[in-house]
Amino acid sequence: MKLTRREMLKCAAASSAIMALNGSLPMLKDAMAAEAAEPDKWVKSVCRFCGTGCGVMVGVKRGKVVTVKGDPNNHNQGFLCLKGALMPPIVYAKERVTKPYIRKNGQLQVASWDEAMDLVVSKFKTALKDHGPTSIAYYGSGQALTEETYLASKMWKAGFGSNNVEGNPRLCMASAVGGYVTSFGKDEPCGCYDDIDAATCFFIIGSNMSECHPILFKRVAARKQADPNVKIIVVDPRRTNTARIADEHVSFVPGTDLAILNAMAYVIIQEELDNPRFYNKYVNFMTNDKKKVDFDAYVTFLEDYTPEKVEKLSGVPADQIRKIAILFSESSGTMSLWTMGLNQRIRGVWANNLVTNLHLLTGQLGKPGATNFSLTGQPNACGGVRDTGGLCHLLPAGRLIKKPEHRAQLEKQWGLEPGTIAPKPGLHTIALWNAFSEGKVKAMFVLCTNPAHSLPNVNMYTEGMERKDNFMVLSEPFMDAETVKYCDVLLPPAFWCEKRGVYGCTERRYSLLMQSVEPMGECRSDVDILLDFGRRMGIDPKVIPFENVDDIWNEWREVSSLTPYNFMGITRARLEKESGIRWPCPTEDHPGTKRRYVRGEDPNIPKDYKNKYKFYGTKDNKARLWMRPYAPAAEEPDQEYPMVLTTGRVIDHWHTGTMTMKVPELRRSFPKAYVEVNVDDARQLGIKNGDNVELVTRRDKMVFQAKVSDVCRPGLVFVPWYDKNLMINKLTLNAFDKGSKQPEYKICAVRIAKV
Amino acid sequence: MKPQSPADHTILTKIVSLSTLLVTVMLWSTVSTATPLKHLVAPDSAADCYECHKKATPKIAEDWYQSKHGVQLMKCFVCHGQPDGKGSVPWAVVPSPKAVCQKCHDPAMQRMQQKYGLELDCYTCHPFHQNSLHHDAYKKSASKVK
Repeated sequence: MKLTRREMLKCAAASSAIMALNGSLPMLKDAMAAEAAEPDKWVKSVCRFCGTGCGVMVGVKRGKVVTVKGDPNNHNQGFLCLKGALMPPIVYAKERVTKPYIRKNGQLQVASWDEAMDLVVSKFKTALKDHGPTSIAYYGSGQALTEETYLASKMWKAGFGSNNVEGNPRLCMASAVGGYVTSFGKDEPCGCYDDIDAATCFFIIGSNMSECHPILFKRVAARKQADPNVKIIVVDPRRTNTARIADEHVSFVPGTDLAILNAMAYVIIQEELDNPRFYNKYVNFMTNDKKKVDFDAYVTFLEDYTPEKVEKLSGVPADQIRKIAILFSESSGTMSLWTMGLNQRIRGVWANNLVTNLHLLTGQLGKPGATNFSLTGQPNACGGVRDTGGLCHLLPAGRLIKKPEHRAQLEKQWGLEPGTIAPKPGLHTIALWNAFSEGKVKAMFVLCTNPAHSLPNVNMYTEGMERKDNFMVLSEPFMDAETVKYCDVLLPPAFWCEKRGVYGCTERRYSLLMQSVEPMGECRSDVDILLDFGRRMGIDPKVIPFENVDDIWNEWREVSSLTPYNFMGITRARLEKESGIRWPCPTEDHPGTKRRYVRGEDPNIPKDYKNKYKFYGTKDNKARLWMRPYAPAAEEPDQEYPMVLTTGRVIDHWHTGTMTMKVPELRRSFPKAYVEVNVDDARQLGIKNGDNVELVTRRDKMVFQAKVSDVCRPGLVFVPWYDKNLMINKLTLNAFDKGSKQPEYKICAVRIAKV
Repeated sequence: MKPQSPADHTILTKIVSLSTLLVTVMLWSTVSTATPLKHLVAPDSAADCYECHKKATPKIAEDWYQSKHGVQLMKCFVCHGQPDGKGSVPWAVVPSPKAVCQKCHDPAMQRMQQKYGLELDCYTCHPFHQNSLHHDAYKKSASKVK
C-alpha cells in the first residue's frame, strides 16, 4: 500500500488535531456534563454538618438537588469544606426512610401515617395515664431546626407537664454551657468569627479544628498567612493536622491540661503580664466551693502549679509552659478555641473555666481578636437547643426551670395558667437513658439523632432499648442508622433542604434554610410530625397555636424579647434576605452583635454606661475567675489497662456516619474505623501498620486495624467513632461531669494487643 | 495478486486514515480518561488517593500536601472524583471549573470574569496544587508570582 504525500499529511494533521485536543477535550466533556447539571435555581441554606454553620447555596434542577456551592454572603465567604461540598448524594441515598413503619413480631413493617401515629399516641397516653408525666420523654438533637426543638420542648414542658426533654447536645457542649454560665452568668460565646481575622495569638486546646471545623481552621490559617507574626499554640496529646500550622504544639499526658492551664496563670502573674486594671474592675475571684476571695488567695492557690511541678505531672517541659503563657498574654489579641477535648470530660466545666480564667487575668476579652471561643459540634446545638432551652433544666432564652420567676414569666408569655410548668428539672441524658433501660421511662420520642451509636458505654443502653415494656418512636431519615434496630415506630422525616427553618451556629449567628425541594415519598417535616402528634394527644391548643414553621419562629422571637438574648430584630423577612444575623438583635434595623458585654456593641448595655464592659449575667456585673484544681480522670490507666483510649472525628465523616457514608468518596476514603497507635508503643507491642489489634476496656473489647504513626503520644490510642460496624462507644465510659452531666468520652483506660 | 485499482487504493487510504484516527482517539482516551487497572485493586479504599500517590506520583502528591488544599485537607476526590467513575464527582484529571471549582470559588470566578472576561478557565493562572500555605506560607503563591 502506498499513500501519497498529500494523504499522509492529511492523516498526520488529523492526528495532531486530536492530540492537541488531548488536554482540552476532557474539560469540554466535563463542561458539557456540568452544563447538563446546571441548576435551574440556587436556594439559600446552611450546611448540614458541623457547628461552623457555613452558608450553602443549593443548586436545584427539575425539582432535584444537583449541586451545592458556598454562600458568598455568609461568614464562610463562599467556601465549603470537603464534606459540605459533597452533600447532594445524601438526599437521594437508597437508605432514605420514605414511609412510616411499625415493628411487628420483631420486624419493621410499612404502615400508614394514621396507623403509626395512632400507635405512638396510644403508647404515650397509656404511659401518662398509668405512670404520670415523668414516664414520657423527648430526646432531640443539635441537628434539629430551632423551631423543631422549641416546639418539642414547649409541648413536653407546657403541654404534657414533663421536663424530660433532652438531646445529644448534652453529649457535646454541655460543659461549654456550664463554663460560660459559671464564668459570666449567661451561656454562649462573647466573641465571633471576625475575631479570627484580628487575633495575633491563637490558643487551640482540646480541638482538632482542622478536621472538625475545617472552614474555621482555614480562616485561622489564612490569618497566619497574612501575618507571619501571628502565633498559633496547639495543646493536644495528638499531633493532628491542626498542629501543622502551629508555632508551639504542646503534647501532654491526657487529663493534665487542668494543671497546665493553672501553670500558665502562675507564669502570667510571675512575669507580671497580668492586667490588674481589668480584673480589679470586672472580675470576682472564686474558690471551688463558691466563696469570694481576693487576688492574693488566687496567687496562693496557684503555688501548687509552678511550671516545674506541672512538668512532672503533664510531661510538658516547664520552659514550654512559660513560653505559651507569655505568648498568650503578650499578644495584642488572643483567641482561645476549644471543643470536645475539654467538654467531654468529668471536669469539663472546670476546664472551660480555666481557659476563661486566662482571659480574665490578662484582659484578653471583648476587644477584636481577644476572646474565649468555644466551638460547637453540631449545626444547631447553640441555636436550637441551648438558646431555646431544649434540655431538662432549661426554659427558653437562658431561663431555668428551677427558678419560679422564670417559670412564671414563661407561663405568662405563653398565655398558660400559673403552675403549668413542673418545678422539678427532668432527667439529664445519661439519667434518662438509664431510666429508659430500667423501664422507668415508658415512652420516648427520639428525633434526628442516633443514640444507639452515640451514647457512651452504649451496650448498657441498647440492652435497655430492647426491653418489651418500653416504647421508642424514632424520626430518622436513614434506614441503616443503628437506632432503627431498636425503635418500635419509625417515622420518615423531611431531610435538610426538604424543609424550612433556622440553624444557629457557634458565633450566635442564625441563618435560614429555605426549602429547596419537596420531601421524598411520604416524608413530612418534623414540625408537622410534632404538631400532628400534639393534636392527636389532645394537647391544649393554646400550647401549639401554630399553623406553620414561621409562626413558631415568631413566637420564639417574642419569648426571647424580655431577655438579653433578644431576637426581635431577626424577622423571617430579614433571614430570607440576609445570610445570617447574630443575636442579640433587638430591632429590625439592628445589625446584630459581634461582641457581647461590650459597651457600644452589645445592645443590652446602655450607650452611656460608665464602664467599657458589663457582665450583666451576674448580679454585680462582674465575671468570675474560678480556682479549679487539677483532678484526675474518672478512669486513669493502671497495670491491667495501661493505656488511654480517646475518640473523635476524621474530616471525612461526621457523627455516626449516617450521612457521610452515603457519599461514595467519603465512604471509600475511610471505609472503616481504625486504631491509631504511637510508633514507640507499636514497636514495644510488636504491632505493625495494618495489623489487627484488640482493644479491651472494662466495658467491652473490639478488634481494629492499626495505623502506626506519631500522631498519638506514647501511651495514648485514638479511634474515630463514626463506624456503625466498629462502634467504639461500646468501649467508652459513661462517667459524667457533676455540673454539666456531660460524659467523659475523651479518656478511659484500655489494654491493647496484636491478634 | 490482483493489481490494486485506484478505487481500492482510495478505500484503503481511507481505512488507514480512519484507523490512525481511531488509534489516536483510543490512545488519547487511555491517557486522559481511562481507569488505570491498579485503581481497581482496592475499591474499598479507592478514595485514599494520597497514600498510594505518595509512591506512584510523589511530586504531585507532595505538591498537593504542601498546598492550601493539602493543609486544609481538601482531598483529591473532592475535585477529581473517583478513578473508577463510581463517585459523585465526575472523574477527571482536569476537573471542570464549572462542576468543581465553583463550589468554593464562585465569588473569585465571577470576579475574574468581570475583570478579565475569563470564563471556565482557572488553570492558566492557578497551576494545580501550587497555592502554597505550609512551608512557603509567607511567600507569594505560585499564581501570584506568575
